[in-house]
Amino acid sequence: MRAMSLWRLEWLRLLRTHRLLAVVLVYLFFGLTGPLTVRYLENLLGALGTGGAQVQFPTPTPADGIAQFTRNASQIGLLVVVLVAAAALAFDSRREMAVFLRSRITKVYKIVLTAYAMSAAAAVSGFALGMLAAWYETAVLLGSVAVADMLLGTLLGAVFLAFAVAVVALSAAVARGTLATAGTSLGILLTMAIVAGLGGQVTGRWMPTTLSGATADLMLAGRPGDYLPATVVTLVATVACLAGAVALTRRREL
Amino acid sequence: MMVRTTGLSKSYGPHVALSDVDIEVPRGSVYGLVGPNGAGKTTLLMILAGLRHPTGGQVRLEAPPRRVALLPDTPQFDPWLTGFEVVSLAAHLSEARSPDVGRMLADAGLSDAAQRRVGGYSRGMLQRLGIAATMVGQPELLLLDEPASALDPAGRREVLDLIAGLRGEATVVFSSHILGDVHEVCDTVGVMRAGTLLYQGTLENLLVGRAVPAYRVHLRSPAGPVVEALRRQEWVTAVAEPLPRRLHIKVRSLADAERQLAALLGESGALVVSLTPDAADLEDVFLELTS
Repeated sequence: MRAMSLWRLEWLRLLRTHRLLAVVLVYLFFGLTGPLTVRYLENLLGALGTGGAQVQFPTPTPADGIAQFTRNASQIGLLVVVLVAAAALAFDSRREMAVFLRSRITKVYKIVLTAYAMSAAAAVSGFALGMLAAWYETAVLLGSVAVADMLLGTLLGAVFLAFAVAVVALSAAVARGTLATAGTSLGILLTMAIVAGLGGQVTGRWMPTTLSGATADLMLAGRPGDYLPATVVTLVATVACLAGAVALTRRREL
Repeated sequence: MMVRTTGLSKSYGPHVALSDVDIEVPRGSVYGLVGPNGAGKTTLLMILAGLRHPTGGQVRLEAPPRRVALLPDTPQFDPWLTGFEVVSLAAHLSEARSPDVGRMLADAGLSDAAQRRVGGYSRGMLQRLGIAATMVGQPELLLLDEPASALDPAGRREVLDLIAGLRGEATVVFSSHILGDVHEVCDTVGVMRAGTLLYQGTLENLLVGRAVPAYRVHLRSPAGPVVEALRRQEWVTAVAEPLPRRLHIKVRSLADAERQLAALLGESGALVVSLTPDAADLEDVFLELTS
C-alpha cells in the first residue's frame, strides 16, 4: 500500500475518475480525424450530393491538416481541459471535503499549485499526443511537415494550455462551484479570442489565444519571432493568474 | 489555557453569528459546546480551526496550526479514494511522525473496509473514517463538530470512550446536541444561544447554581392529607402531584426540608416509599438557559 501525498491524490483523481483518459481520447480523436477530414472532404461532400452544384476545393496542404486539428483542439479539446481542471481546482466547492484539505494544510499554495500542475500536465500530454497523431496522419495523407515547425507549434500550444489551466485556477478562487468555475474560465478565454479576432494582427500578436493555432501558421509563413510577444504575455499572465488564485483562496473562508 | 478567545465576533452581512464570545479551554480538558441550531457552535469551531476569520476580537491557541484538527459533523472525502488512502493522506498532510495508518483504521473498526472506496461507505463509516483521519495526525487540539451524530449506539459509545480517553493527552472541544454525551465526557461546558455564550464553567456549578430546591416523594397511601399539610407550611413554596401518590415539593431551602419534611410526613400518617432531593439535570438547565 503506497503512502499518499498531494501529488498522488491529484494523479489518482485524474486516473480513477477517467478524466485523463477523456483528455487524451479527445485530443487523439481530433488528431486522427482532423487531417483525414481535410484530405477526404471533397469526396465526402461528393458522396452526400450537392444538388447539382459543383464545389471546387483547393488541393489540401499539410498545413490544412494540422490547422484542422488545432481548430478542434482549441474548441472541444479546450472545453474538456477546462472541465477537468475545474473539477480539480474548485476544491472548495464542497465544504466538508474542503475542510479535510484546508484544515490540514496551512499553506494554501501547495493545494493550488499541485492541482494546477497535474491538470496542466494532463492537458499538455493529451495535446501533445493529439499533435503527434495529427502529424502522423498529415504526413501519410497530405505530405511531410517540418519537424521544427511541429515542435515549436506544440510547445506554443502547450504554453497556451498551461495559461488556460491557470485561468481556471483563478476562476476557482473567485467562483466556488465546479460548473461556475468552468463557466467563468470559458467566458474569459472566449472573450480573449474575440478580442484577438476583432483587434486584427496588432492586438493578436499579444494575445495568448494566438498561440493555440501557431503550428499551422508556422508551416505557412509564420516566423518563430512573431509569437514572442504573445508568449511573453502568456507566461506573465499565467504567473499572475496563479498568484491571484493563491492569494484569493488563502483569504477565502469555508 | 489551550484556547482563549476575547470578545470574539463574527458577522455575515447583517447576521451576527458570534457576539463577544470569551471562551477559555484548559489544556488537556474536554470542553463541551452546547446550544440549539444556529447558536454559532460551528462558526466558533471553524474560527478556531483557522477556516473562517473573526470580524472582531482575538483568538489565542497554544497549539501550532498543523497540530489543530477539525472534524466536521458530516465528514466527506473524494469517493474514489480508499479508506486507507484517506487516512494515509491525512497523516502526510498533518506531517505526523511515524503514523500507524493500519492501527487507526482498526481502532475505527474499518480494517475490513480499508481497501474499499469511500464512495460506498455508510454515513457512520464516514464518521469513523473522519475520526481515524483526525487522530492519525496526533493533534494537540481536536475540534469535533457533532462527532457522534451519525453513529449507532455502539459507535457513539466508542466515540465517547475515545474522547474521554484523550483527557490529559489532547485538548478536545466538541459540540453536541446530545446533552447526555456532554454530561458524560466533559469537564467544562459552554452554553451558546444566538451567537452568545450564556454560560461557561464546570457542569457541577452549572447544575448546582441552577437547581431549584425540591423533593420528590413517592407514597403508598393517598396523597390528599399530606398535600394539605404541606401547603400550610411557610417553607414549602409549591406542591404538585404529577402522578397519583407522587409529589413534587418545592421548598424555600434544602436545609428547611431536611429539618422538617420527614417529621411532617410522619405526622400526616403517610406511608412513604421514597423521599429524594430533586437535582436539576442538564436538559432542564439547557432549556432554561436557551429558551
